[in-house]
Amino acid sequence: MSCEELQDFFELYALGLLEDEEKQEIDAHLRRGCDACRKRLAGAEAMNATLFTLVPDVRPRARLKHRVLHGVGVELVGWGWAGALAAACVLVIALWLSVQERDRTNELADARMQLIQVNAERDRLTQALAFLADPQTKPASFGQDNQAPPRGYVFLHSRLGVLLIASNLPPAGAGKAYEMWVIPKGGSPRPAGLFQSANNGAIHILNGPLDTSTLGVVAVTVEPEAGSRAPTSQPIIAAPVPGI
Amino acid sequence: MFPGKLWVIAVAGWLLAAILRTAADSDLIGRLKARDHKAMAELYDRFGRIAFSLIFRVVRNSAVAEDLIQETFLRVWNRVHSFDPQRGALGPWVLTVARNRAIDYLRSVDGRMRSGALELDRLEDPALFNGVEDSALAADRARRLKIALEKLSPNQKAVIELAYYEGLSQTEMAEKLNQPLGTVKTWTRSALKILREELAEAAIA
Repeated sequence: MSCEELQDFFELYALGLLEDEEKQEIDAHLRRGCDACRKRLAGAEAMNATLFTLVPDVRPRARLKHRVLHGVGVELVGWGWAGALAAACVLVIALWLSVQERDRTNELADARMQLIQVNAERDRLTQALAFLADPQTKPASFGQDNQAPPRGYVFLHSRLGVLLIASNLPPAGAGKAYEMWVIPKGGSPRPAGLFQSANNGAIHILNGPLDTSTLGVVAVTVEPEAGSRAPTSQPIIAAPVPGI
Repeated sequence: MFPGKLWVIAVAGWLLAAILRTAADSDLIGRLKARDHKAMAELYDRFGRIAFSLIFRVVRNSAVAEDLIQETFLRVWNRVHSFDPQRGALGPWVLTVARNRAIDYLRSVDGRMRSGALELDRLEDPALFNGVEDSALAADRARRLKIALEKLSPNQKAVIELAYYEGLSQTEMAEKLNQPLGTVKTWTRSALKILREELAEAAIA
């Protein structure tokens, strides 16, 4: 075939769709260095490429780029660092927020605990005032003749119970607690509650009712912090109950 | 169309655009040959989406298209050393490789023309793209070709679709369409002529 006759075949040749005979004709022309055929082939390649662009646009997944580049041994280092940096920033922020949240939670728990302690202190003071304000309350003192503390008062009330106010009572020590005892006349000590002392003293209340007429002594010993059924040490406070 | 000095400005603009486009292609090919990793990312940015669209049009399956786009760019990466940046245009070559990978897959699935794989391989030789114009992928050409496609008869359009996107030879088209081979050849020849002439007119205009 002449060059003119071949001109209709170049697009199909470039697509690899010619029958063997036609393909061989074009191959022969191209091998001979036929300039006209080379130009027609270039034109056919260009038209084919233009037709390839007319397909509906489909957006590939963003990760495909990484996969393609990884396939030829290329890694997107810049963006990888950016991603790692962003992830690290997110992690740091998350940790910071977590610490902040934990601190806030702890502060809230502390505040609640303080509120509970303040309320308990208020209740005890209210109870103590009730003792002091009631004309039926009978006082008893202890340690007045001692050179060193503790000193203080015991207030007895048949309905309210026993109020102990001790000044300068040192802390009981690690693993220890003060335990109050009510000792009937001629009887055995009965446990009347555990308490701790701050450096400025202590207030302890045994809620009534209580038979004050038979009571002989109110005493305090140092005991294990879980308390004891009977005193295990010498009393550091012993307040004789005056005859009522 | 362009009165007076506007002719000069239009021609100068066209020349400048062509020079810049050629320089950009040439620079990219040079960096690809030098194994510049950023150049490969740039190549994907320029042709990845259209190549994926083309492959998807042929295979109609996203997962397969992703495999084939990876194969396409691997081939380009491995063969770019023989591409002549002064004589060939990168885009048409990349799209041809993409289309051929898709057609080769289609043929392997259909169990037809295994020997055609070698032929497709040969047709991806960068030397065959010497002399292909940089403007092959220009939007204006695509627009004109799209209009020209609308002028084709349904039969002409069918044979173009079968050739470009299904990789059927004229004999295979005749079997598929249940038409005489001569008829299919006439449809194909006349369709390609219409498209070719439309582009020729565009070049003159």
